[in-house]
Amino acid sequence: MRTRLVILGVLVAGSAFATDHNNIDSGRPLRFDDAYSIAFRERAIELGLKFDTFRRSSPSYGLKAEYKVGFAKNQDIGIGFEPSYSTSDRRGDVGNVELSYFNGLRREIDNTPALAYRVDVGLPTGRGSRGADVRFRGIVTKTVGQYDRLHLNLDLTTSTQKTAGERQATAGLTVGYTKPLGYPTQFDRTLVAQFGIDQSRDTSRGWVGNVGLGIRQQMGVRSVLDFGIEADVFSSKGRNPAGLRFAVGYSVGF
Amino acid sequence: MKSTFLSVLALAVISTATAQDHGGHMGGMKSNLPTMPADMPRWINSPGADHLFYKAAPYNWAINRIPAFARDMYGTGVGHAMAYETLVTGRKDQLETRIFDSINRVLQNPPRNPVDEVALSPTFFRKYGYLEKVFDWAHILHFQTIDVFTHPGWTDAQKEAEIEKLWQFYSAQPYAITGLPMNMEYLDSFPYSMRFRTNYPKVNALFWGYHWLQTVNYDMLFRVPVQDQAAQYEVLGAQYRTTELYKIRDFMPMTAEMSPRFAKRFPMIANAFDNLHMLHDNVNDILASDELSESQKRDQVKIAIYRVLASTHVDEEPGSGEDAPGTLHDHRHAPSTPGMGYMKGMEDDVMFMSGMGWMDMSACAHCSIPLPDGPMWGATVTADGWTMMVRCLMCARDMAAETPGRAIIRAATEDPSKILILISDEEGNLTSNIPGVVFLEEFGEHPECSAWSRAFTSKAAFEQFQKGNPEMKEAKPLSLEAWVQLNQGTPETYRKIDKPNPYKSDGANGGGK
Repeated sequence: MRTRLVILGVLVAGSAFATDHNNIDSGRPLRFDDAYSIAFRERAIELGLKFDTFRRSSPSYGLKAEYKVGFAKNQDIGIGFEPSYSTSDRRGDVGNVELSYFNGLRREIDNTPALAYRVDVGLPTGRGSRGADVRFRGIVTKTVGQYDRLHLNLDLTTSTQKTAGERQATAGLTVGYTKPLGYPTQFDRTLVAQFGIDQSRDTSRGWVGNVGLGIRQQMGVRSVLDFGIEADVFSSKGRNPAGLRFAVGYSVGF
Repeated sequence: MKSTFLSVLALAVISTATAQDHGGHMGGMKSNLPTMPADMPRWINSPGADHLFYKAAPYNWAINRIPAFARDMYGTGVGHAMAYETLVTGRKDQLETRIFDSINRVLQNPPRNPVDEVALSPTFFRKYGYLEKVFDWAHILHFQTIDVFTHPGWTDAQKEAEIEKLWQFYSAQPYAITGLPMNMEYLDSFPYSMRFRTNYPKVNALFWGYHWLQTVNYDMLFRVPVQDQAAQYEVLGAQYRTTELYKIRDFMPMTAEMSPRFAKRFPMIANAFDNLHMLHDNVNDILASDELSESQKRDQVKIAIYRVLASTHVDEEPGSGEDAPGTLHDHRHAPSTPGMGYMKGMEDDVMFMSGMGWMDMSACAHCSIPLPDGPMWGATVTADGWTMMVRCLMCARDMAAETPGRAIIRAATEDPSKILILISDEEGNLTSNIPGVVFLEEFGEHPECSAWSRAFTSKAAFEQFQKGNPEMKEAKPLSLEAWVQLNQGTPETYRKIDKPNPYKSDGANGGGK
């Protein structure tokens, strides 16, 4: 079940213009969203590869493929797949299927931030998965200073099937920060950073804090390359936080 | 569900909403300012971002086939965005210095990819987000029409049919700008009008310089084989970067001025681009008007949008408005040019063109004899930043030769699917896109020049023409090298129109070529 949480936390379908370096999707490369859907009638494919983690002698590798459609103004839906391979188990897993819905409620107007929410459903198609996970995420995006933006993501996740030693519902909070790099001479790169805390599904563990840093680089008119690194930095109880996670991805809109 | 979510967000928002309007004094403009119409469309107050994607098609981003052109076009996204952000953040004193340098640097070193204007001007779009919807949607039309023309593998007929579809696609959205001709003198007649170009002439020159690029390119592409497009851009791109960006003009470049062939075929699109560019000018002027309060500026921007929206002119027809000249619903156009609204001082087909003076658009720019009606056309000459229609190849050649610098001649041949592109170097030497091109030039009366001065794609085509025109049976086909040596001088039929420049209050002469 913890595996599914990681999927929901990091790899669910994203928001915004997936194929513009300035518009931020969860998982590409960090875990937060901005408050903008992809454009009406836009379709986007996002591909990502993640390594978890550098500290272990036998890391796991995960692939993410996601397809999104802007089916109405300010709204998109998506479906994502995440096959993975564990070097310690020496076997792969088709992974869970993620369905997502994003709704951008309002853009940033004057001093009022942009607001959005998204709902993700993780279907238990992966090996050993049981029950569906449902995550609700509220999103706030606010410009700070001239060009930088803050993104507040508040997550509430619940599962249709809980086992002993698991919490029925968990919460999480991520503060993302984006800063376009190169202005006013270059316009194709954005720095992304985050600080987040997530409540562990495992009742023996408490809150886990994480930080992340990454870059989104415009490659073509509708394609973006991203790479980022995340690390858990503290845990309120239970075992020590896990090591580094590295993600690289490529998104294209059409 | 939604209300619960909003409650959560209310606790979490980073800052609460505060009105941006700090009031302000009511300047002397108040009594003359346009007032808010009762039928302002509801979408203008919609809080959604409402981003729209372009029409999915195989031609999208074909503009990149001409890399220098694509990059110059991508660079144009920077200018207004930087200037708007400067104005709304109270840094107007930097516009003609630091911001000019920044914009100019980008235009001279343009980006490889399109620029997100909202990201460049976040403060502006937080205040005027509704404007983004209109601009974005029109800019998409701009790019997609270019993409169609630069897309290889389609016939001209297929491309033109697709352009029509794009226009329908564009027009289906509430943010669409009208394709009707609008009276430009009226649109530039408000208390705030001309403020920006007066106070910030260098930056305004950059804006109008890239509006030149955005309009001159269509005749470079229209019915021109894709393999013959890039060579023209070597000339136009150099003109753009060295001259057009810094030229102080009397008025913004009009699409039908810069691309007359395209504007005749797609007048609604030419009009929409002109109306878009005038909306840009209106917004520039409003933001540059210190007498206006924040609230007045917001109202005036909304009213400026309203004026040019298609929804404001439903069921109105091109050419209508004679009973209400110089008003919002004046859709008259020059009889020969349905793709251009009435300009200041215009009388029928006679209009003032910045840099050219008074011109009769229904007549050959070189011999002043009326252009033929209908689809038949002789040639156009693009040189020194202007594009003019002429009746025949002889007029085109001689007009290009009279003009310093490089020139592009686009001319009809006997094959409607094969356009002749002649590009001159600084010395007047011409290169052709049709290797075997031959010319007919049996000098005669100018009113019949389009009959005896023509281009043919081959000697065989020339001879075929002779069979159908026995009066030309003695004519010899001229090679490009022989033909370019000819020069018949300024025709005696040429008539210069001598009138004052309507944009100058000192009665300065309108000049002429």
